Amino acid sequence: MTIEKPVGRQTEKLTTGTQAVAQAVKLADVDVTAAYPIRPYDGVMQAVAKLIADGELDCEFIVAEGEHSQFEICKHASAVGSRVFVGSSGVGWMYAMESLCVTPSLRLPVVAMIGNRALDDPGAFGVEHNDAMAVRDLGWLLFWVEDAQECFDATLMAYRVGEDPRVSLPVGLGVDGAFITHSQTLIKIPDQETVNEFLPPYDLGDRLLHPDNPISIAPQANEDWVMEIRKQTDAAARRVKDVIREAHADFRRLFGRGGDNPFFEEYMTEDAEYVLFGMGSLGLPAKVMVRRLRERGEKVGFVRLKWFRPFPAEELAESLGRFRAVGVIDRDYSYGSPQQGGVLFTDLRAALYDAERRPRIVNFIGGLGGRELTPEMMDEMADLTKRAGRGEDVPAVSWIGVRE
Amino acid sequence: MPERAEGGGRAVSSAGSSVEGRSSTEVREEAKSVEFTYRGIFQKTLAANLCKHVVMAARKRDWLGSTIQRYSDSPERNGVPAKQFAVIAPDEVRLQAHMAKYEPNELDVITALDDTLCDGVESWAYYGRQPINLRLRRGGTLLVISHRSAEELLRVIPRKDWEWTLAILPGTPSMGGLWVYRDDGTDMRVLGAIARVRPDIIELDEVRSVVESDDQLGEKHLGALQDGYESVQIHRIAPGQGKEDDYEPVRLPGWRELREGIIVEAVKPGERNPHYKTSSDRTMRPVVNFDTCIKCRQCWIDCPDECFEVTEEGLHPINYEYCTGCGICSQVCPVEDCIVMVNDLEFIDEGDRDVYEMWKQDPEAYHRWREEKIARGRIEHHGYYNTDTWAWAGGRQAESPVE
Amino acid sequence: MTVEAPGRALKLEPIRSIKKAPVEEFYQSGHRTCQGCLSALPMRLMAKAAGPRTIVLGTTGCMYVANTTYMTTPWVVPWMHTQLGAAGSAAVGTSAGLKALMRKGKMKDEPINVIAFCGDGGGADMGLSAISAALTDIEYNLLIFLYDNESYANTDIQTSGQTPWGAVTTFSPPGKKFRIMQRRWKKNVPGMLAAGHPDTRYVASGTPAIPVDMMDKVRAALRAGGPTYIHVLDPCPKGWHYDPEHSNELGKLAIETGIYPLYEVKDGVLNFTGITKQIAEGRRRRKPVREYLEKQGRFAHFKNQDYAYFQKKVDEMWEQWIIPCVVAFSYGGPINITGDIPKVRNRNVKRENASWAGEPGHSHEEFAETPDEPQEPWRDDNELGRYPWALPSTGQ
Repeated sequence: MTIEKPVGRQTEKLTTGTQAVAQAVKLADVDVTAAYPIRPYDGVMQAVAKLIADGELDCEFIVAEGEHSQFEICKHASAVGSRVFVGSSGVGWMYAMESLCVTPSLRLPVVAMIGNRALDDPGAFGVEHNDAMAVRDLGWLLFWVEDAQECFDATLMAYRVGEDPRVSLPVGLGVDGAFITHSQTLIKIPDQETVNEFLPPYDLGDRLLHPDNPISIAPQANEDWVMEIRKQTDAAARRVKDVIREAHADFRRLFGRGGDNPFFEEYMTEDAEYVLFGMGSLGLPAKVMVRRLRERGEKVGFVRLKWFRPFPAEELAESLGRFRAVGVIDRDYSYGSPQQGGVLFTDLRAALYDAERRPRIVNFIGGLGGRELTPEMMDEMADLTKRAGRGEDVPAVSWIGVRE
Repeated sequence: MPERAEGGGRAVSSAGSSVEGRSSTEVREEAKSVEFTYRGIFQKTLAANLCKHVVMAARKRDWLGSTIQRYSDSPERNGVPAKQFAVIAPDEVRLQAHMAKYEPNELDVITALDDTLCDGVESWAYYGRQPINLRLRRGGTLLVISHRSAEELLRVIPRKDWEWTLAILPGTPSMGGLWVYRDDGTDMRVLGAIARVRPDIIELDEVRSVVESDDQLGEKHLGALQDGYESVQIHRIAPGQGKEDDYEPVRLPGWRELREGIIVEAVKPGERNPHYKTSSDRTMRPVVNFDTCIKCRQCWIDCPDECFEVTEEGLHPINYEYCTGCGICSQVCPVEDCIVMVNDLEFIDEGDRDVYEMWKQDPEAYHRWREEKIARGRIEHHGYYNTDTWAWAGGRQAESPVE
Repeated sequence: MTVEAPGRALKLEPIRSIKKAPVEEFYQSGHRTCQGCLSALPMRLMAKAAGPRTIVLGTTGCMYVANTTYMTTPWVVPWMHTQLGAAGSAAVGTSAGLKALMRKGKMKDEPINVIAFCGDGGGADMGLSAISAALTDIEYNLLIFLYDNESYANTDIQTSGQTPWGAVTTFSPPGKKFRIMQRRWKKNVPGMLAAGHPDTRYVASGTPAIPVDMMDKVRAALRAGGPTYIHVLDPCPKGWHYDPEHSNELGKLAIETGIYPLYEVKDGVLNFTGITKQIAEGRRRRKPVREYLEKQGRFAHFKNQDYAYFQKKVDEMWEQWIIPCVVAFSYGGPINITGDIPKVRNRNVKRENASWAGEPGHSHEEFAETPDEPQEPWRDDNELGRYPWALPSTGQ
């Protein structure tokens, strides 16, 4: 990975993942935010509140009486031209589901942080990805971050990509609860001037809801209109990857980081025989184990997916086709799905179905409800993946770390 | 699907030839579709009853049947034209072939349960005003409940290139509401009329059998059934007879033409919504006496459809393109007989044109014109309280089915 | 530059008579509403009263589906759809968004009315919590306008929390076993909201059957500043089952029988208006409720005992509630309705010896004067009693 020298000054700060997002919200000069308490995302709202109280950010801070209202408030502020920030976790995110459905069809670039949390019942506050994944079909762009630095970076990217007039879709940032939201790491924060160069102002053009622009937004439709409207969203969704590439190139140039590939990170994959594949904070134990295995002579690597939507199917097919096996780690579940595996596994198999070279793909369900994914578990998964690649009889789906 | 440019307005029979050209057995064995066009809400239960009875009657000859509503009619609104369909067939295969559509493409019988529907129906925005007989099958029957003559009705019903039948069942349209069914025998009379004109669809004996096996129905229903059978008038309509057909199916924009973000342009100040004229909701329209008007403006302010224009003279003419004929203006006007409701079919010559200019140029002539209209077609209300078959005492509603 | 509540800055003065009603329409012909729809009429009157510098948010319901039917619209002013229970949140979001942009110099600073409408289903049931929250967000100028046709009308008439006792709906059909399926008494929403949100400057109850009164209430709300609420009773010929031409008459009858009251609570002071005022002051007798109920098919199954029960409940509302029609508690005994109606104290009056340490009634001005150390206000507009429209950032 090449490291360029960033433009402008960068300051170092020790922050949690949520505080890092808050810093990005500040530099993006967000205009309106609405908060509602639920763990583990709401640290970001606490941080934003403090920034406002201290005069560091000029932003409306509304405490809603429920997540549905929280997201509706932000959606409508966005419709009148305000840059907004919102977020939730777990069942809170689901409580807002009606609002989440309509925001992409309205083509409003709301940016939301989802502090990934297990869905009740059983209530647990630890990380699972099903909450954010629930909107994957609806037009939300979805990005999973690995650490606090990426929390900051991805927030800026979210505004840049989401608000691009060729896209104009909402963006969800998957931030693993506790592991990222609550632990503090050192991050680099650029200055306002450089951020302004990266992020233009939010401009709805002739879609702005304002007395000077006489429009009706979202009249009722019927079967003669809905397909055309959905087709427009489809066309926008297909334009996203190019916009991401552009934004990513700018990001690297201005801030000196971001990796070679906008869509996923490859770690020690150059001559790998098999790789593990996953999203979010599990990248850390994965990389730790990959290094240990490499020292033992294993030809193993790790691929960390960043943009889950749009799903970079062609790019992944090209990259993963080099390996004999891919072990997909799902920090989520998808009961009753093909192979009864997880969501990421099912999507990846679909992505690679037509590829010229198709590795063996096996699935590991693990880390649910906040259970740690340890390097030792990674070892086990790596071993199963290797054996799968060598043609041994390995189950399609294994649940890792479950007490029998 | 409502009529669109791709489908075109032509009705083509699946057998490719007119009804007359085939033997009666052949005709009998085809699947049949019956449409009931009606005033939304006011005649909703009536239409549902009729559809149900068509299917039940067809069962008596071991046929199968189904009823269809148009989902986009729902939720129905008072007066807004709506349609329900009954489809019957000798077997499952033929029934399915007919059912596999959003709404039947061609109808053997179209029944207009209110004759003011005959001048066209506009059920929603964008599709324009569609002829009452748009999807009539070649050689099919249009049955209308009306006291008017065929000649009069043919001034508003468009012509076809082929023969068809206009059947008129003398009567006043039966209007009710949602909660109390208007059991005045209209459903029975219509069934009797269909049995008379189109015994290939339902036969009188079949309907009688259905009525007799229903506990809720009795002698007077059978009487109404017989009355409908006997009193329906049948007119064979020649090709070219009727109003000129100027209907153009609408063209809907493609996905690239739509604005992004589900956005449409607002109505311009001073204009009305150009994509949806609501005049076909009407059974009756208000006619104003501009001479006795005291300019209190109650009509103007109380109109839910914003139909009253504002003039320099302080008078309020009515825009008949949008008036839905609710009658509120006639009730709130404090001057007796200043605003009078008149049956809409009295205005075939005038169409939806504004009549204010007529008054301004010649008040005397306007007055005579107005008086004549009132004499011929004055209506007090939406017909909740009148019927030709069974009398209603003093405007009371029907007995509730539950004691 | 400080701009007052939009209604005040736009000079939306009381209309007072039909002759003086403005003629411009901001909600026009061409909507798929029922004949005689008295939920459409309040849309027209509300838009007429508010004028062109208005943004309207419309929740799902008849006034969405029937109005903006199939990609068309009757609205002249900008309008946006919002979700069924989202009137409160849409209003707050819109108002907050405009405020932020104007304060931060990203948009021209000017008065804009924000009105969110909802039906009784979406507002009084599903969206009640959002409306309540909006009414506490006193920094934002907005009006929540609830059109009450006493059912979920758009889905073909189902029971809502505003459906009168005993009424027929598709969820409460009279049957062989139960004649009365709808056994809940109508929630008192405007009273509840007025009583529960003392910082709200304007709450009113009206009806389009009395149009000028309704329009004046809309203007009063827009002039008041902060979040406001208006509830209007809309006779619905489809759901209530009567000939559409009687919509206006039926609305008046609801007032004349005392079943539905007209009033406004402005800056903590309650006043009845119109016919209700005459009843409250003993200058007019309430008509028997039967006169109103028997005109509607949704009560066609009523028997004498049902009318009697309904009458009793309405009598209670007038004779036993601490504030008739508004606050539903009773004293130990009946109140003489022809006597003085208790007035609510004007809460803007400063009290002696009020301190910051938690006594009710303190004003913010006191707080600003007695801080421990000099403070820069993070925004100037956090004073009770005045809601400037938008301000530039501090340092003015």
